[in-house]
Amino acid sequence: MSRFHLTWDKGVGLFLVFTILLGTFSSEYFATTSNLTFIIRDVAEIAIIALAMAYLIIAGEIDLSVASMLSLSSATIGFLYRAEIPFEMALIGGLVAGLLAGLFNGFLVTVLGLPSLAVTIATLALYRGMCWILLGNKPVNQLPQEWVNLGYSQIPGTFLPWTVIPVVILSAAAWFILHGTRFGRWVFAIGVNAQAAEFSGIPVKRVKLALFGFTGLMSGVAGVIYTLRFASASPDGAVGYELGVIAAVLFGGVSIAGGIGTLWGVIAAVLSLGVIRSALQLIDFSANALLVVSGSLLLISVIAPQVTDYVRSQRIKASTTKRIKTKEGVQQ
Amino acid sequence: MLRSGSFTPGSEPILRVAHISKAFGGVRALVDASLDLYPGEIHALLGENGAGKSTLLKALAGVHQIDSGEITLNGEEFIQGSTRMSIEQGVAVIYQEPNLFPDLTLAENVFIGRQPTKGKFVDWEKMQSESKKLFDGLGIPLNPLAKARGLSIADQQIVEIAKALSTNAQVIVMDEPTAALSAKEVERLFEVARRLKAQNQAVVFVSHRLDEVFELCQRMTVMRDGSTVDTKMVADSSEAEVIQMMVGREVSELFPKIDVETGDSVLTVNNLGASGNFEGISFEVKAGEILGIAGLVGSGRSEIMRAIFGVDGYDHGTIQLLGKFVPKKNPAKSMAMGMALVPEDRRQQGLFMPTSIARNASITVLKRLSKGLVLSRKKEEQTAITWGEVLQLKFARIADSVDKLSGGNQQKVVLAKWLATNPTLLIVDEPTRGIDVGTKSEVHRLLSQKAKDGMAILMVSSELPEILGMSDRVIVMRQGRMVAHFERSDATPSAVIAAATGSGSQA
Amino acid sequence: MNLPGQLMRARELPVFAALVIVMGLTSVAVPHFFSAKVAVDLFLGVSVIALLAIAQTFVIVMRHIDLSVGSTVGFAAFLIGDSYSKGFGLEVSMLLAIGLGVTVGAVNGFLVAYLKLPSLVVTLASLYIVRGIFNEFASGETIIESEVPPVVNWLGLNRLFGVPYLFIIGLVVLLIAGLVMKRVKAARDLYAIGSNPAAAELAGIPVARRVLFAFMSTGALTGLAGALLLGRFNSANPNSGLGLELLVVAACVVGGVTIAGGAGSVFGAFFGALLLQGITLSIGALGIPQFWQQAVNGSLIIGAIALDRYLSTRVKTTTIMGSK
Repeated sequence: MSRFHLTWDKGVGLFLVFTILLGTFSSEYFATTSNLTFIIRDVAEIAIIALAMAYLIIAGEIDLSVASMLSLSSATIGFLYRAEIPFEMALIGGLVAGLLAGLFNGFLVTVLGLPSLAVTIATLALYRGMCWILLGNKPVNQLPQEWVNLGYSQIPGTFLPWTVIPVVILSAAAWFILHGTRFGRWVFAIGVNAQAAEFSGIPVKRVKLALFGFTGLMSGVAGVIYTLRFASASPDGAVGYELGVIAAVLFGGVSIAGGIGTLWGVIAAVLSLGVIRSALQLIDFSANALLVVSGSLLLISVIAPQVTDYVRSQRIKASTTKRIKTKEGVQQ
Repeated sequence: MLRSGSFTPGSEPILRVAHISKAFGGVRALVDASLDLYPGEIHALLGENGAGKSTLLKALAGVHQIDSGEITLNGEEFIQGSTRMSIEQGVAVIYQEPNLFPDLTLAENVFIGRQPTKGKFVDWEKMQSESKKLFDGLGIPLNPLAKARGLSIADQQIVEIAKALSTNAQVIVMDEPTAALSAKEVERLFEVARRLKAQNQAVVFVSHRLDEVFELCQRMTVMRDGSTVDTKMVADSSEAEVIQMMVGREVSELFPKIDVETGDSVLTVNNLGASGNFEGISFEVKAGEILGIAGLVGSGRSEIMRAIFGVDGYDHGTIQLLGKFVPKKNPAKSMAMGMALVPEDRRQQGLFMPTSIARNASITVLKRLSKGLVLSRKKEEQTAITWGEVLQLKFARIADSVDKLSGGNQQKVVLAKWLATNPTLLIVDEPTRGIDVGTKSEVHRLLSQKAKDGMAILMVSSELPEILGMSDRVIVMRQGRMVAHFERSDATPSAVIAAATGSGSQA
Repeated sequence: MNLPGQLMRARELPVFAALVIVMGLTSVAVPHFFSAKVAVDLFLGVSVIALLAIAQTFVIVMRHIDLSVGSTVGFAAFLIGDSYSKGFGLEVSMLLAIGLGVTVGAVNGFLVAYLKLPSLVVTLASLYIVRGIFNEFASGETIIESEVPPVVNWLGLNRLFGVPYLFIIGLVVLLIAGLVMKRVKAARDLYAIGSNPAAAELAGIPVARRVLFAFMSTGALTGLAGALLLGRFNSANPNSGLGLELLVVAACVVGGVTIAGGAGSVFGAFFGALLLQGITLSIGALGIPQFWQQAVNGSLIIGAIALDRYLSTRVKTTTIMGSK
């Protein structure tokens, strides 16, 4: 990894600390346990999807349909439950829906060879459309209370919401796989140079297909959490969430060009955005401020590497013109 | 009899390149290069890979700025460092792989940015008729309305030449133009070049192919190791002399070839064919043997290697490794069976550029370095360090990125990554391209040693001395087919070149 | 010039044919489908998207994308009403709206052209930022009918020989844009940039300048489209334009303006918008629940992308062995 990005994700960590401090100072309600509960619950879905999106972007692809896949899984849950299927099975159905949708995206990209940007803009519409087909415009609101509680309330005796459990487990697993296993190395290799990866025996297409499937599955998990949290399965949920996910992933230090990024940076970015949102709400700033902030952070995350690269190349140019030619020999 | 026609230089050269030098980082691509070009001549620029031809061209094209020396065009200082300025000053470079706009028509390609106008608007009819005139003037009836996508390389070159003429280029440089052409297309290109000569254009013809140089060019400049060796009239020289100038030393000195007893057959390729790329390929490589595959660039050698290793597919034929059939298009399986491929293009195919040496060198053996799922970073580094020592890799820290290394050390990293898999068959495609001389012989020594240890080695190379010096046997390819097979003792430069170019003549 | 032959091979043909087929099949299935009312609905419904699709074409042929158009067009619509109601007069209000579009385009363009940032990310960010600023500016208010400039209102409601004025405006812009894209040198450069960015640099094309100008043009047209949006709905609020960018890109892709750049025309984009709108109407007329609309759109875009990819891989280049 280039030296800059190693510093970047530490920078995001510092930024997170900074935003927490800012929040604490800006409002007396910020550093309360109930607010922390709120923040964690608020970022759960985005965090979970961001884990998968990070893998995908590191591998050089992207998926803009994640919000629709989340909603599709939610709609599937509602549809199945309305059809008198036991709620537990309906939840599994939601997960399966997300996985299948992700695999379909993967099929379009790896088997048909279609560009992921364009094609996931299309599946964004397709999956959202399927939500409408499944539910009509009648959301399913009568969900089993004990499950809804899991989505909304805290683990007894603590301020942590139940949803923190899947977030932590999945984050840990994702972090481990990406940074500590052969598969993770493969993901980075594909993002840096897919051709060299193929020449090194890495099954590029299969890996990408798996990553798209993983993204769908995580969207499905997020869909389950979303449904439980809002105690409702509706066809127009989570509209625009993909932007929050991508903003978090890119701001977390994952390069849009692929091959670079850390999961820790992504998690820190997700938390930062959650903290900022909470702080803004508490000091009565409108939600618009968050939009502007998210957008700006997104921009900064892509501008900053350019700037440091430029500065570094200027420094190199200055030193080589001074340097006397060495004995290294000829190179084309 | 001199086929290329006669030429007497006028009084003033149109282009003068005087003692230029250029370094990239610590590597000197040009040391002391000079070239004089006169109108009405076709001037050959010769030299091995790494001699500096391409850097010289890029300086003329405006891609690079030289560090020292002078370039003058028509007696005036040549403004450098801008591709636009080079075109405006009248220097046009036609690259080996022409860079057209596939979605635009040929007429648009010729006139892009300079379309003829009627008032403020593009005059499509005029653009079309002007293009047609240019194509006709070159003797090739291309359709100006056709889109550039799908055009053969030969035709793309014609469009580029037409474009050069439309910019009133005074100097037209052709960079290895015949590499991807069939014999007929080469002849057609030569006719065009002769027309240009007759129109008093100055043409630079960069090439490896001596027979073509002797057929087409009047004067030639030979480069070696970044400097100009000499400039001569083609009529006053011979192919043998040119080879001597290009290589500069006794061929056998460079290559520490160890004689080895060959063992059993390791690789058997039977009637391998891929439509359009190669056909009828059958050969065998034994343990301890180095089989050299010679041929001109574009003769299909790399395609065959990729097919054998599994990165590309093929239409028919079989491949067997140690008697077992190797499945098609499955690099992971080929690796598992004991194959390794050091690819032709180390930057695009062999290395992960902004990644560390450790990761690059270990990417092929990660399974072995993991316990269950857990990958040991220490083992990753260790494997790189171990192989780095074997190969005498020069680096600062193992965590450094490979793009900081010299070409030679980069190639060593690629070798390390494949040797770490302990292959039975090692395929190397242009193993020492773009590498300094010192590292070159280290690589050769390594390959010889591995052969002695029983590895079967399949080597593709465009460098004649390398092929002749290293191989136990040589197969020559031309246009996708095997055309000759030599034992070490029968392989001479002229025999190999003759087979590769299909010319029966020698100077 | 072999005109019939050229027409047959035009990229725009599939879209146009699809439009005719869809309309045709539906009018067979549903009597009186293609009545005057349906035609008016078609033209009226398509006008904003069509104009935005024309604008998006400038950017897509260069292999870029502009996702911020939905936010910008909504803001522009609101701005016209707001300025007018504050007494600024029609011309000034229009200028403000177009100026807004140009500014957004300039910022997008600068970041993409000179800082070389990926347009996907840049315009995604500006989608956010513009919407946020818009929301702040609007403070939750809505532009109501009385605040809409009478000319805009009138144009939105009336027709010339049965064709809505909004559509006619779109048509006029189409013709002008079509002329420019075909006949102005700088516009031809856009195609070159998208077809082979590296070669464009080598050929001496001032790539950065062209990219910047293209984004600014897209922005200007988006500002203009704000007027159409306002006229169409006779109102504007902070949700105006939400999600339009998807439909716009879809219209372009379906109309043959390939994401890979270098090809396609504003005519194709226009037909693409018509096709999408036509399908919407057909779905309604055939009694298919509206809920299928988005799914159908999505499938259509996938089909268009796949077809485009298939067609481009069909062209074979000559190989090592073969030669004529």
